[in-house]
Amino acid sequence: MPLPLEGIRVLEVGTFVSAPYCGRLFAGYGADVIKIEPPGGEISRAHGPFLNGTPNPETSALFLYLNTNKRSIELDLSSIEGREAFLRLAEDADVIIENYRPSDAQGLGLDYETIRSLNPRVVLVSITAYGQEGPYAKYRSNNLIAFAMGGQMFLTGDPDKSPVKNGGYQADYQGGLNAFSAANLALLAAERDGEGQHVDISVQHCMAPILEAGIPFYAYNGIWTGQRRGNLMSSFMGIYPCIDGQVGVHVMARNWPPFAAATGHSEWLEDERFATADSRRNHDDELMAEVIEWAAGMRKKDAYAIGGEHRAPITFIHTMEDLLESPQLSARGFLRNIEHPIAGNASYPGPPWWMGPDSWRDAPAPLLGEHTQAVLREAGLSQAEITAAAGLAT
Amino acid sequence: MKAPLAGIRVVDLTMVWAGPLGTRLLGDYGAEVIKIEGPSQWDLLRGLGGISRTEPRWYNRAAYFNHNNRNKYSAAIDLRQAAGRDLLLKLCAKSDVLVENYRANVMDNLGLSFEEVLEANPHIVYLSMPGHGKTGPEAHYVTYGTNVEQLAGLVSISGYEDGEPLKTGFSYGDPSSGIAVPAAVALGLRQREKTGKGVHIDLAQRENLTGFVGEYLVDYSMNGQLRSPAGNTHPHIAPHGVYESAGQDRWIAIACEDDDQFAALCHVINQDELIEDTRFSTRAARKANEHTLNTIIEEWTLKQGHYEAMHILQRHGIPAGSVLTIPEVMSDPQLRFRGAWSEQVHPDAGTWEVETPPWNLPRTPGHARIPAPGFGEHNDYVFSNILGLDEHTIGRLYADGVTADEPNVDSHT
Repeated sequence: MPLPLEGIRVLEVGTFVSAPYCGRLFAGYGADVIKIEPPGGEISRAHGPFLNGTPNPETSALFLYLNTNKRSIELDLSSIEGREAFLRLAEDADVIIENYRPSDAQGLGLDYETIRSLNPRVVLVSITAYGQEGPYAKYRSNNLIAFAMGGQMFLTGDPDKSPVKNGGYQADYQGGLNAFSAANLALLAAERDGEGQHVDISVQHCMAPILEAGIPFYAYNGIWTGQRRGNLMSSFMGIYPCIDGQVGVHVMARNWPPFAAATGHSEWLEDERFATADSRRNHDDELMAEVIEWAAGMRKKDAYAIGGEHRAPITFIHTMEDLLESPQLSARGFLRNIEHPIAGNASYPGPPWWMGPDSWRDAPAPLLGEHTQAVLREAGLSQAEITAAAGLAT
Repeated sequence: MKAPLAGIRVVDLTMVWAGPLGTRLLGDYGAEVIKIEGPSQWDLLRGLGGISRTEPRWYNRAAYFNHNNRNKYSAAIDLRQAAGRDLLLKLCAKSDVLVENYRANVMDNLGLSFEEVLEANPHIVYLSMPGHGKTGPEAHYVTYGTNVEQLAGLVSISGYEDGEPLKTGFSYGDPSSGIAVPAAVALGLRQREKTGKGVHIDLAQRENLTGFVGEYLVDYSMNGQLRSPAGNTHPHIAPHGVYESAGQDRWIAIACEDDDQFAALCHVINQDELIEDTRFSTRAARKANEHTLNTIIEEWTLKQGHYEAMHILQRHGIPAGSVLTIPEVMSDPQLRFRGAWSEQVHPDAGTWEVETPPWNLPRTPGHARIPAPGFGEHNDYVFSNILGLDEHTIGRLYADGVTADEPNVDSHT
């Protein structure tokens, strides 16, 4: 069976997380993704964390993870030769992914009209913090700034402390996954009539509408509490310390009887303070005290197993160690062992969804410029042109 | 120009948030989405709208439901009855895609497994999106959005500096799965085209979200070291944080990526002498003295409005952003410029602003074509126009409780 995206050619002029994550998904599902790196390499190679903590452009975990299954070429897009080589590659591309500020993208020659005149079916996907046009289009951003401007940060954290971002690079990852969905829709349209388009992804615009019920309640009901609620949204939705970590509960009305059974408190069902969703809300503090006490006496894996048995939504906070040891992930083969020639063996997350046994592949991230010669020769460049385009001239 | 998913019919068996957001995106970009609810098994978001149950048709007025279910038709079918199951299989035979987000074994128990649907339609793209996936020892565990982020490893690395693990501000696992749906369906349609066969897609919500912390997993497996939550800091650069500004609970995020941006910041806050100060003159020095630097910056931000501070800093080339509240998000000039919100008229709920499709595909734009359907609003369209059932047969479906025009309001309290 062919891979789902076999035969699709992607150029990624991506930096750091958002565009590379989009490219990672294309590559994992079978597209031929050519990653165009500036001379010296893309910045996530310098980011780490590194194998044994020693900086090395080939052992940055961030780079290794985001760039599996891709080919790497070094191309100096600030030179005329580099830009000509890029346009040569663009002639055969189905998709081009980039995530520079609009003005910086123009400076690198990533101009949609120019590319389109050479290849009308190409889908150019631009991921930016704010979008291609508008009052903030020239504003600078990174994951932290986008997280603030997308409305998710204000909601996150304790009521008596500052708002705080989520771990890692969540705004960037959201941008990457949104872009992957949008790109695949545009690709379907382009395959139908041979016409591509410039897909404009604003990370802020992706993040702002998905604040759970926050937007609907404000826009329709006129309600906005403006409060951060830390780890305890309510007694029945939150994170509680336990003996060896933390457990999470998320109990909807219909899960109440199983939850009482799982926690060994079937007397709660008879307690009129806790009888209905409304009464539980009215006695939230009292119920919270009970749940705190229950959790404090539990081991995390026991709480999870008992919850599962009773069909009560109880989980535990999985650390990276717990993920590596997870019986569920292991049974499903989600964690993939990938051997990298310099970084060695490591565990990587597998596909975001499964489409059958041969739907995802597991080649390591490329070495810097590993495929410069091969890719540019395929595109018909002479040795002298390759040397100039890659910025290798002495 | 045809929408990307024009001509694709989707049978939508999803409820609550992750699935409905995903199928709404399919509708936004051109698919015909038919949402199926049981007369007693209706989407519980219909009951979470803060609308009094004494109001007429309150179940059609919950904004949380209506935001996630526009561009869909609604038909009521009780899948637990044989006649209901039969009806659903007939609908699948005339559709391209089925999306469901039940716990792993629910569809199998209803006699609607992939294999059974495949018999009715050998070309079906069948997308399952349970929390844990369709297989494995934990597949039958119940899980919701906040559980998903706990299982994905995200919570363990989130939180204040050196603090306890912290949940996200909302059920983050849900939208993170929902936005994957158009890509998963597009890949499924492509696979169907290539092979001429139906395809089963298994999207485990916890696995999808684990993809958002992949570098931590690779790092741990290489180095065997768990990383603590790092608040708003960045591993290499400073300043990189959130600072209190004038007003009640108002904040601004600022990040300086290089010496030039730091020099510009010093200039804006009238502290040019800090540029040469050895505590701050290099990237490494700034990172080492980050907390001292933060105090100096906050003295300035406390006297600025968070919008003013953002505009001044950005004009000087410094990455800065207001920490926007929900009311501010809805009035934000950039989102307004992009047309992120538009008025919608709903026959039961009235007129208000909803989000528009999030991605700008200029040649094949998404549209908010029709408001969210009332319960069972399109029963007749589905049963008579799509399935070609006669009046007598449809009458029997109503009489037997296989369908209904109103939900059984006692089933969710």
